Amino acid sequence: MTWVTVDRPTSEELDACVQCGLCLPVCPTFRLTGRETASPRGRLQAMSAIDSGIVPLDETFAGIIDFCLGCRACEPVCPGLVPYGRMLEGARAEIVSQVPGRKRLRKWLQGSAIPSRSVMRAGAGLLSLAQSLRLTGLAPKKYERIIGGARRLRGRPGSSIGHVGGSGEAGTVGLLSGCIQDQWFRPVNQAAIKLLEMAGHRVEAPSAQTCCGALAAHDGRAAEAHRMAATNVGAFRDYDIVVATGAGCSAHLAGYGHWDDDGEIVGEVSVDITVAVARAIEDGRLPALDTPRGEMAIQDPCHLRHAQGVTLEPRRILEAAGYKVVETDEVAFCCGAAGLYSTLQPEASAQLGNQKADQIRSTGVTRVASANPGCEMQLRSYLEDNYEIAHPIEWYLAALVEELEGGITSE
Amino acid sequence: MTLLSDLRQALGNENVLEEPLELYIYSKDASLMRGEATFVVFPQSAEQVATVVQIAASHNVPIVARGAGTGLTAGASPTEGGIVMVTTALNSLEIDSDNRTAWVGAGVINLDLSTAAAPFGLHFAPDPSSQSACTIGGNVANNSGGAHTLAEGSTTSHVLGLEVVLADGEIVVLGGQAPDSPGLDVKGLIVGSEGTLGIVTRALVRLLPIEPEVRTLLLDFPTVEEAVATVTEIIAAGMIPAALELMDQRMTTAVEKWLHAGLPIDAAAVLLAEVVGERESVESEASQIGEIGRANGARDVQVATTEEHRALLWKGRKSAFGAMAQLAPDYYLHDAVVPRTKLVETMRAIYEIADRYELTLLNVFHAGDGNVHPLIAFDASEPGINERVHKAGDEIVSACLRVGGALSGEHGIGLEKRDLMRMAFTEIDLDAQARLKEVFDPTGLFNPKKVLPDGSRCFDFGGVRREVPEGAWV
Ligand SMILES: Cc1cc2nc3c(=O)[nH]c(=O)nc-3n(C[C@H](O)[C@H](O)[C@H](O)COP(=O)(O)OP(=O)(O)OC[C@H]3O[C@@H](n4cnc5c(N)ncnc54)[C@H](O)[C@@H]3O)c2cc1C
Ligand code: SF4
Ligand code: SF4
Repeated sequence: MTWVTVDRPTSEELDACVQCGLCLPVCPTFRLTGRETASPRGRLQAMSAIDSGIVPLDETFAGIIDFCLGCRACEPVCPGLVPYGRMLEGARAEIVSQVPGRKRLRKWLQGSAIPSRSVMRAGAGLLSLAQSLRLTGLAPKKYERIIGGARRLRGRPGSSIGHVGGSGEAGTVGLLSGCIQDQWFRPVNQAAIKLLEMAGHRVEAPSAQTCCGALAAHDGRAAEAHRMAATNVGAFRDYDIVVATGAGCSAHLAGYGHWDDDGEIVGEVSVDITVAVARAIEDGRLPALDTPRGEMAIQDPCHLRHAQGVTLEPRRILEAAGYKVVETDEVAFCCGAAGLYSTLQPEASAQLGNQKADQIRSTGVTRVASANPGCEMQLRSYLEDNYEIAHPIEWYLAALVEELEGGITSE
Repeated sequence: MTLLSDLRQALGNENVLEEPLELYIYSKDASLMRGEATFVVFPQSAEQVATVVQIAASHNVPIVARGAGTGLTAGASPTEGGIVMVTTALNSLEIDSDNRTAWVGAGVINLDLSTAAAPFGLHFAPDPSSQSACTIGGNVANNSGGAHTLAEGSTTSHVLGLEVVLADGEIVVLGGQAPDSPGLDVKGLIVGSEGTLGIVTRALVRLLPIEPEVRTLLLDFPTVEEAVATVTEIIAAGMIPAALELMDQRMTTAVEKWLHAGLPIDAAAVLLAEVVGERESVESEASQIGEIGRANGARDVQVATTEEHRALLWKGRKSAFGAMAQLAPDYYLHDAVVPRTKLVETMRAIYEIADRYELTLLNVFHAGDGNVHPLIAFDASEPGINERVHKAGDEIVSACLRVGGALSGEHGIGLEKRDLMRMAFTEIDLDAQARLKEVFDPTGLFNPKKVLPDGSRCFDFGGVRREVPEGAWV
């Protein structure tokens, strides 16, 4: 028995790899270990071995695939255009279907918490209470890193779902609230709504939407991922633009073609919030400020830079806010957050987290821009408290507000 | 004790792989040939390499060294079984900026060395297209070259010393800081020996200053012949540009689809030229090259004005092999060298051979030193195609040798080109090489059956190495 699901890595996908090895040096897990078995080429070879029935799909295969971050740094450097991220999701789906005990392990690890809104909300409420009482140390060990890196929340959590507003001369945006953003990173969604409306969009966050399904897909829960994609295709198919505020979500929306027959309809018009805001700045629908605000260290989320090729946009936004952008990592290695990775592979995750934190520290800049909630949490948990970390659009909005208020006082 | 327990005891369990899937992953390099690894080991020091060599010898199991596995001739494929010894943990790096040298672990990636040397204004000159991935050990073993070999020479010109583990497990240092060490140049023998004489653990390499000015030009031509004629004339004019690289139309099309570098895909050939040095000479050479190109029929001469543009043009060239994956799932590649003056006629002959065998052939190569890289793109699952590909390959090599060329410019012989050695060398030559191999490696421990065809030794009874009976080491 080789593959059993429709999501399997296909032979055509596998044939695209010519084993040139050019993807090795950009792969964080290869760099950590120096091992082909922890490299993109090695993982593809492993998939080929399963595909041709040379070895059974067992724990060894699962271990090799589990150690992958899913950062997709291997894709943009690949001259064969191997769709690695897609194949990884397929391999994970196969593991969950075929390797005994996998399904349960994963369920336990996330306590089914992440995709379910009500549990998320309860979690967020408890978390803000625990944080204000400084009780985070009481959280189950397995969540320590995640919670340690969560934002300090104030007041009652709420949701942007159901929001409708804005004029719409620049087109109507369907906003994917996202499960993590919606609860733990509300200010990012709020900033997105404000900026998109200022830029002339009508913004709607339809109630019929659900989690984008990225986490389910990355974890091999393919049936869920298909179901979520179908629900969202229904909720978003009539919008001019679909915007997500987490890089992981926008990358997943862009690949909806793999998850639903009509997925392309949404995939084609989906963009990350940084792209939508940068476009508005470029068209003059949002202002570029010229008051200098000092330096800003930037961190590129993998799913923005590697999966979507978006690098200029967050920089343009920060420049328009008056910041001088300071680069931290030329090759943009993964920070080690990678969904559940910090929980499943704590050692590798910690090595990458420390490495990233060191890169940021060495710039001497304590303001940091990161366009993805998972990365932000990871950075928070490895950097000291004096580092201010926020989404580029939050930095931009704050600058706008400051400028406006400054304008009022000077009058 | 079994081989496995010996290896584990010496290296620790975590540094020995034995699962079939893990072994499968280490069973080939970037070539088409797959072997079967007995075990995979990750020595952490030269001493551990020496221990593994002794263990392997006592169990009579061969060793195949492996760096990054980007080799194109199955050099690192364990085609005779044996222990695959991976060098990635040998990653020490000491730069001596005053002497412009560095002691570099065999597992250090070529480009990482140059990146580390950059703050001192230095770089490692050999720059194979795979430089972002391949290791110094692999470069030394294959005497690798690159686009800039034209002006600066291949790896051997940049290796001053080597630390090598020999077949008896002894660690020796060959050569050293002095530009011309006294005695026989044994280090020179190891460079290019493809892991058949010993295991390189560290190399003392020369670093060169980063050139103050660089100009990169892209010339496009309506015919391949005009491009080649331009190359010949540039050299004849007394210039040695840092690089002169040629890509034909099929190649630029494949690359462009992936890279969108703005390569002119309607040109029959494009020539990438780079000149380096002081501002004045760079400018005059660049304009001279442009003129020669135009006189020879170039439709357009582009000069990269920004560093980004230059990097993009080079990225296109350096990714050419991988971009082949767009055309067909498999490729077969030669890297013969022909005298520059014979390039035009050789190119014609190569195209004619491919047409006759009805094969898709692309060309991308170091035109400056006549190092051609005709690539055949094919789908190995097509019935009968393998035979056609190999026949065409052999004819291409003969055509190159006929005009006074050599079998390989830089990729090495490995297994893929091994049997072609007979076309290039006489029996006496091969015998001399086989004797040399025996001096270093009397029992055939290192990378058996690579480079030298069976029977190279005049008194050879069926191979130098006795076959290891199956199951002997487990
Ligand atoms: C896309 C692509 C482009 C390429 N372009 C070029 C090019 O422009 N020029 C060029 O010359 N080559 C090129 N190559 C070929 C290849 O990259 C080089 O030969 C490179 O030097 C191999 O290095 P490696 O670390 O991958 O070695 P491997 O493939 O791992 O090994 C190569 C050989 O060296 C031996 N070896 C490795 N390490 C040691 C050691 N420490 N001691 C003893 N023996 C050792 C192995 O046994 C094997 O025989 C290219 C390959 C690819 C895939
Ligand atoms: S870069 Fe692409 S083609 Fe090359 S080995 Fe990696 S996945 Fe395969
Ligand atoms: S997704 Fe990231 S970790 Fe996984 S193989 Fe690609 S580069 Fe490596």
